[in-house]
Amino acid sequence: MLDTARDIPTPEGIELTLRLAGPVARARAWTVDVLVRVAVFIVVSIPLSILGAVGAGVMFVLWFALEWLYPTVFEVYFGGATPGKRMLRLTVLHTDGTPVGLPASLTRNLLRAVDFLPVLYGFGLLTMILSRDFQRLGDIAAGTVVVYREADFQHSAIPQAAPLPPPMPLSAVEQRTVLDLAARSQTLTAERAEELASLASRVTGAREGSAALGRILSIANYLIGRRSP
Amino acid sequence: MKQQAFEAHYGARWNEFSDWLNRRSAKRPKSDAAPAVDPMEVPARYRELCQQLALARDRQYSADLIERLSRLALAGHQTLYGARSQGLERMWQFLRAGFPRAVRREIRFVGVAAVLFFGPLLLLTFAIPQHPDFAYVVLPAEVLDSVQSMYGDGVKHLGRKREADTDVAMFGYYIFNNVRIGFQTFAGGLVFGLGAIFYLLYNGLFIGAITGHIVHSGLATNFFSFTSGHSAFELTAICLSGAAGLKIGYALVAPGRLTRGAALRAAAAEAIPLVAGVAGMLLIAAGIEAFWSPRTFLPPAVKYALGGVMWLVLLLYFAFAGRERAA
Repeated sequence: MLDTARDIPTPEGIELTLRLAGPVARARAWTVDVLVRVAVFIVVSIPLSILGAVGAGVMFVLWFALEWLYPTVFEVYFGGATPGKRMLRLTVLHTDGTPVGLPASLTRNLLRAVDFLPVLYGFGLLTMILSRDFQRLGDIAAGTVVVYREADFQHSAIPQAAPLPPPMPLSAVEQRTVLDLAARSQTLTAERAEELASLASRVTGAREGSAALGRILSIANYLIGRRSP
Repeated sequence: MKQQAFEAHYGARWNEFSDWLNRRSAKRPKSDAAPAVDPMEVPARYRELCQQLALARDRQYSADLIERLSRLALAGHQTLYGARSQGLERMWQFLRAGFPRAVRREIRFVGVAAVLFFGPLLLLTFAIPQHPDFAYVVLPAEVLDSVQSMYGDGVKHLGRKREADTDVAMFGYYIFNNVRIGFQTFAGGLVFGLGAIFYLLYNGLFIGAITGHIVHSGLATNFFSFTSGHSAFELTAICLSGAAGLKIGYALVAPGRLTRGAALRAAAAEAIPLVAGVAGMLLIAAGIEAFWSPRTFLPPAVKYALGGVMWLVLLLYFAFAGRERAA
């Protein structure tokens, strides 16, 4: 299936869902990181240039650290994301969904040198497109994926209404549809919510508009187990 | 059980679990109050949560509830399975045992890399004094001339023309340059091993041609008294980074009974300790090369002796460190 959600089975017998990040988001994160690194280098090298040869030595070490160690340090010790990735809400994880560790992070970031070939991540882009999980070569070797960090959870409760049993038995999937619509009704415009509710004519008894929505909310309240006092 | 009753029944426990996760991820806990969940109880709580998530999915409870539970489960999964020992203890274990064991385990690749690297190096070192013109086949004349001037007689500091404070600059440069070469040699292995083979041969030919040319020019004493100190760490490190690159390349060429992807993952996991060790060795080499090798106040014999001791220590380290005593 053409989908960027990836389910990972866990030993507890459930499946957790990761949302994989594609080449565009990752390229943007990389661009931010390049700018951050160049900025840091310029800012630090101005005072260092006064120190002459000693400063030059420190500058070489700094450039080396920014080039090779910067991604690994941030990925392992600062929550799986470089500043660029953090800005785009991306995180690096092992393919089993756990936070990336030092060996895997080192692997994926050292092999970056090959992904970068022949120009600007040519190999990396190619393998990302060919692989199922948007993995560049370094990711494949390290067993890592780059995923979207979920936005903060917005609790959307089903609005209170006088509970009413559905007019006929509903299958599990039908019940779920009614519940989802009831939960979403507050984030939709009133017109759209009523329009959607009107489509379920068998459940609402061919009511239209706000009456249909009211009936859907009542049935949803019944389904989740609220009872009229 | 209806969703409302389900939530009412377990909601408090989910909140406690969520509270425990938040405390763990927070750098400084906000309150000193004891956590609601005993740490020993957390794995059981996590399994309980997974079971409830599975139930919620099966019973088609609202998407909102399932989303909430699956987020909790994902955070729990990452916290429980993601906990890996890190820090100084692990680094010491790696130095004491992990690195030499990895080298011994990959001895076949280390052997091949050694032949590819030390072969041309030694060949040219001994051949060029016999056939001096051959040095110009391998390297351009300007490079050979500049190298010759660096080790000419009467140079106060060997290796590079410099003042005392340029030691620090050269230290930085050696780290920047040499560790990068090590990393590139490893990464080059990903191209079916070809990159690693190329860098091994290239560096072997380069170093061999220069050494041979210097010997031919009669500057051997200056040259070897400069290079003997750091040669053990630097040359061995290049060889090992090549071995790590060859290992991942070989996994792609001959994956055996695994898929190429799986073979690459397994090989990279075993090769990366070598690369980490190589980086450490090159740091040591850079320190020696910048601060010790250029000193000319000691007679060459002392510097040769120290270089020999370095080789001996390094070989003994790789041969014996981390071997457990037989019971």
